[in-house]
Amino acid sequence: MTSSVLICDDSNMARKQVVRSLPPHWQVRVQTAKNGIEALEIMRNQAVDVLFLDLTMPELDGLGVLQKIKEEGINCSVFVISADVQPAMQARVLELGATAFLRKPVEADVLMDELQVHGFL
Amino acid sequence: MTAFNLNEDQQDCLQELINVAMGQASDQLARYLNTFVHLKVPSIEQVSTTSLSNSLNQEQQSVAVVSQGFLGYEGIRGEALLVYQHKDSDCIGNILGYEPDELSVEEQLIDLSSILTTTFLNVFAQQIDNQMSYNAPRLLSRGQDALAVYLQQLSFNCDMALKVKITYQVTDYSFNCDMILLIPESAITHIKAVIDRILADY
Repeated sequence: MTSSVLICDDSNMARKQVVRSLPPHWQVRVQTAKNGIEALEIMRNQAVDVLFLDLTMPELDGLGVLQKIKEEGINCSVFVISADVQPAMQARVLELGATAFLRKPVEADVLMDELQVHGFL
Repeated sequence: MTAFNLNEDQQDCLQELINVAMGQASDQLARYLNTFVHLKVPSIEQVSTTSLSNSLNQEQQSVAVVSQGFLGYEGIRGEALLVYQHKDSDCIGNILGYEPDELSVEEQLIDLSSILTTTFLNVFAQQIDNQMSYNAPRLLSRGQDALAVYLQQLSFNCDMALKVKITYQVTDYSFNCDMILLIPESAITHIKAVIDRILADY
């Protein structure tokens, strides 16, 4: 079964980095968004299984996206990928409903482990 | 303004490298102070060193600045300035939990600056497969002229520099400090080469 994946980060390089860290055997359809507003638009119109979400972004940041997902009852697993690795920030995103917190730049084996733990592989 | 004609991809790459380093530096600061550090998107711009000393001077006459030079392989070098407001530098003892007279304000500022600078630069260097060495941090005297003179005398004495400004906000204590990295014109081409190497991998 093919999973629908959305990568949301304002940095082009960071988006590419996530794409190339995805497990090669994972069947996915990948879409990208440059900010939180774009990501929410996509998620309102179609089912997304996994969202890889940056935190520091213009327009609408990652915390804002998590809040909206909660408010609007969007069904999606969110893996936050952030450079802001402070324990308080990690706790905050998990509290807001994120499935996992990964530090930037994400490494392929770490990403694979997390996806496995949460039943996507 | 595009800094030294970095193209869009180069600017994006540099910004990402800085974000990751900034994140780890703020994490160190947060653990050290046992609090949360609020981060903003860092700014990257091209400045003339004269305009820089003017802008630092205009901000306030009573600013405290700790300066530390860094040097890596492949011609990468620069100066990291930690800029504190007068009101913040005076309350720093409380924030760090020192007893009065345990350590001078100067020593405390230097301690805090070293944590931020070395963490930031080590993480930055790691990402570009480099390694940094540092000069001893120096607290610049607070007079306006002293700062201007110092900037003019920086080891890399140059007219233009790439300026990266990162603001660390400790909201619990309403304490802010700015980290300003100055990368001289001559080192920019080397940074560009490194960035291009990273981008070629994508």
